[in-house]
Amino acid sequence: MIWHIIKRELFDHINSLRFMLTVVILSALMVTNAVVHLRAHQGRVRNYSKNVTESLDTLKSRTQLYTLAEKGPGNLHKRPSSLTFIADGGDAYLPTEIYREGSWSKSGPGWKAKSNWWLSYGSANPDAKDLRPQATKIDWVFIITYLLSFIPLLFTFDALSGERQQGTLRLCLANPISRPLLLIGKFLGTLITVLIPFVFAVLLNLAVISADNWTQLSAADWGRLGLILLIAASYAGIFVGLGLMVSAGTREPRVSLVVLLLIWVATVIFMPSTLGTLSTKWMPPVQTIDQFHASRDAALKQIDTDYNDRLNAIKEKKTPNLPNLSELQKLFETSPEAARAEAEKYRTAWETEGDEELALKAELVSRDVEIRERFNREYLDAQIAQVQRARVVTRFSPAAIVQYALESMAGTGFNRHLQYLERVHDYTKQFRQFIVETDRADTESRHLIGIREGMSEKPFSSEAIPKFEDKIAFSDTFNTATLDLLLLVLLLGIFFSGAFLIFVRSEV
Amino acid sequence: MLRNLIRQELLSHLMSARFFAAVIITLLLVVANAVVLLEDYERRLMKYSQQENVHRQKAQEAKTYSMLNLSVERPPNPLSLFSAGLDKRLGSTFDIYYGRVPMISDGSARSLDNTFLNLFSKIDLVLIFQVVLSLMALLFAYDAIAGDWESGTLRLVISHPVRRGSILFAKYIGAMACLLLPVLMSLLMVMILLSSTGSIQLDGEDFLRIGGIILTTTIYLSAFYLIGLLISTTTRRTATSLMLCMFLWVALVLVYPNWSRFAITPVGNTRAIRSSADQQIQQIWEEVDREERLFLANSPLEGEPRKFNLDVQQSNSFSSAGHLSRRYGMDMKLGNQSDRLVPHVENYHATMGALYIRSAEQIALVRKQTLDSTSLRESIWYERLMKLSPASLYTFATAAWAGTDLEGMFDFVQAAQGYRRTVIDYFHDKDAFGSRQWFASDKGPVDWWDLPQFRFDRTDAWENATRALPELFLLLLINLVLFTVTFLIFTKIEV
Repeated sequence: MIWHIIKRELFDHINSLRFMLTVVILSALMVTNAVVHLRAHQGRVRNYSKNVTESLDTLKSRTQLYTLAEKGPGNLHKRPSSLTFIADGGDAYLPTEIYREGSWSKSGPGWKAKSNWWLSYGSANPDAKDLRPQATKIDWVFIITYLLSFIPLLFTFDALSGERQQGTLRLCLANPISRPLLLIGKFLGTLITVLIPFVFAVLLNLAVISADNWTQLSAADWGRLGLILLIAASYAGIFVGLGLMVSAGTREPRVSLVVLLLIWVATVIFMPSTLGTLSTKWMPPVQTIDQFHASRDAALKQIDTDYNDRLNAIKEKKTPNLPNLSELQKLFETSPEAARAEAEKYRTAWETEGDEELALKAELVSRDVEIRERFNREYLDAQIAQVQRARVVTRFSPAAIVQYALESMAGTGFNRHLQYLERVHDYTKQFRQFIVETDRADTESRHLIGIREGMSEKPFSSEAIPKFEDKIAFSDTFNTATLDLLLLVLLLGIFFSGAFLIFVRSEV
Repeated sequence: MLRNLIRQELLSHLMSARFFAAVIITLLLVVANAVVLLEDYERRLMKYSQQENVHRQKAQEAKTYSMLNLSVERPPNPLSLFSAGLDKRLGSTFDIYYGRVPMISDGSARSLDNTFLNLFSKIDLVLIFQVVLSLMALLFAYDAIAGDWESGTLRLVISHPVRRGSILFAKYIGAMACLLLPVLMSLLMVMILLSSTGSIQLDGEDFLRIGGIILTTTIYLSAFYLIGLLISTTTRRTATSLMLCMFLWVALVLVYPNWSRFAITPVGNTRAIRSSADQQIQQIWEEVDREERLFLANSPLEGEPRKFNLDVQQSNSFSSAGHLSRRYGMDMKLGNQSDRLVPHVENYHATMGALYIRSAEQIALVRKQTLDSTSLRESIWYERLMKLSPASLYTFATAAWAGTDLEGMFDFVQAAQGYRRTVIDYFHDKDAFGSRQWFASDKGPVDWWDLPQFRFDRTDAWENATRALPELFLLLLINLVLFTVTFLIFTKIEV
């Protein structure tokens, strides 16, 4: 019996004008998406491989351990996902420059210090110079969140209220068929009708994209695509459920349509951005960039004065029995030779760097890097916390849930950026570890990392330097998407049972 | 008779559930968003005054003329609440320096604390009208004729001695009145909110601009109502008419503006233009270098430029040489031995000042041409393409009224450029370039008490009106065409 209902629903819908229009609009958008992707993706992949080879070459050209410690690994590049056409993820707003070559050098009588590299994270704000009118990218996220919610409503607003008005609902229920079965039949029938044009458009899209050599989809990618289709189907299901719910509760299809469209506008179009902005209102404010600079500079100044004090203490300890300047002048008047010798002794004491001074200098350099990285990290963490909280709040809208889920699945967007940052942190640890261990292997070295005089000068194999390679692991993306998937299933359940309850209690 | 028809239309709409729902949802959205936007505006205003203070302090800190570090900040536009436009996006801090003419792309967004938050899209009040009320207009219109035709009431009405034009007109007036009601009600709510917080100061001109926005909204909604009416008259079946209306709405409001921006690249590759501009700028610098060498060859100054063979006892200096501008500043303490050279050094800086000003103006010319033929041309083309949809026409027209459009941004850049000239004039008045205080403060630091202050006033409402006029005109034209076509079809159909 249920198959009868589903079949009837399907035939009804497929012959309708709305079905045809759905096919047209979905296919047009999906083809556009594929073409735009092909145009941009080639450059993206090429750029990435060029950047990676360049930084590998510079890394290999560094034959001295000190240069390696001073200049670091160079910028660490983020691998572009081959599924960017699914979710753009606002990648333009995520910074790509996270490495900073040291920029200061300090000197005093007889000493000179140069900074090492550090992680700076940077920021990206392409809007600041973009004169073009603002628009949203047409990716799968756009197509799914807007159209796969709008179209189900157009198919369901009259599903129950229209039949009730015409009286066919009464007729249908006069047969030996239970209401739940009828509702399930309608639900599945509509969902399948919506998904047919969608899957068709998706296939068109994939056909265009796989014709291109620059986008190679691996087996894992196809697995992810399958999950993405599942997400899309459950999202469409939520709105089919919502449509049936409102349709079951109203007598007139006109009223149910208006109610549905207004709910749609509020949840899909306005809620993600309004809630995103609203949530920042209750957040602990991030430091302003000026405050951040001020507090970091204060800490840096602290280690600087600390260094100077300790250096002076060492020097003074080394030169305890030297005459002071006025005595020296007096000596000069009596015997210039002796005075000159004294002055020379004095000068060498200040200008030769013993082990103690070098250790102090190495400490200055490493503490500088440590403080900079700590402050940058804290600032970044505060910013990330703000975004995370805003994302939690926007999850009230199913459109935002789907957006985040698709971004995770496609390997783009904010979560992917966080994974990339984690990889960067792991790698930098490994990189620094490598320098320390290579240095330790050399017995002639002073083992003072970060300064030229303190490090091993033995050649080492450039192959042994750890290399950074960004990967998009399926397990990572799946883990971050699990929460969103669960939320979607939950919403699907809520709306479907809502429709069920209202329909069972309603009069025909 | 016409009045009766209008009254009947109006009543039937006002009593309907869809009108009630439209009012509720518009009010809810407007109030919720207005609260958020107001908060956002207040934060930006606070940030603006903070930045202003920082700029003022920095300017006062300079001890010599060459160390002057001036910046100006674009104030947030109070009407960005209605139409955000480019106001929140473009960089708002511009450096004012005699050796560089500020251009629109030079603004930096230093006041942003968390750029990641740009991941969330921005909204404004106009967007609510654009999306919600255009949808409502179509929902009012799709069964206006088709519904009456299906139920037979159309035949009944026409059997009375009433012209068909009057029927159409009555329907139009009735629906438009119902559509404008939520607009006016929500604006009233916004005004109440604004007056209760007091952080936004609106003047008479602003009310004129808001009036312009309301007018544009009316014309925009009327265009959508007429689209629906036309579809309703031609299809004569509510089910068909509804589906056509809905999909057309999706295409015009949701899809097309975004689609045209990404599917089409209106301006080809601009790399050649940019690289030739770079070369021209390079030549300008070479010219500057040549003249500097020429000057130094005829002068007793020797050694590294700017420090020369002076007897410098203490100095504090910076210098940067970028592609677009070169900048240096210094504050030296000179020994007595350099007294002989000081007039020559003064001469040198006067020459360099004049050279930098000249090169800045030449470079600005090149940059303006490049901008006009690359990114500006591109954005204008995108705007043109997008204007094929009435929804985008509406966006651009309201941005023009609010002053948050491209022109409004250029107004500020122009003011900044004017301020740069004022500062140069001030320098000339003080004979700053050729004075000892240009490079040394040992005879006393510069007193900045009469340094001209920057002021920026938005254009008057009349100017905004002329900027919004092309879009308004196009919207009106769409209205006129749609109404005529609908009228012609309606008079011809059989009932």
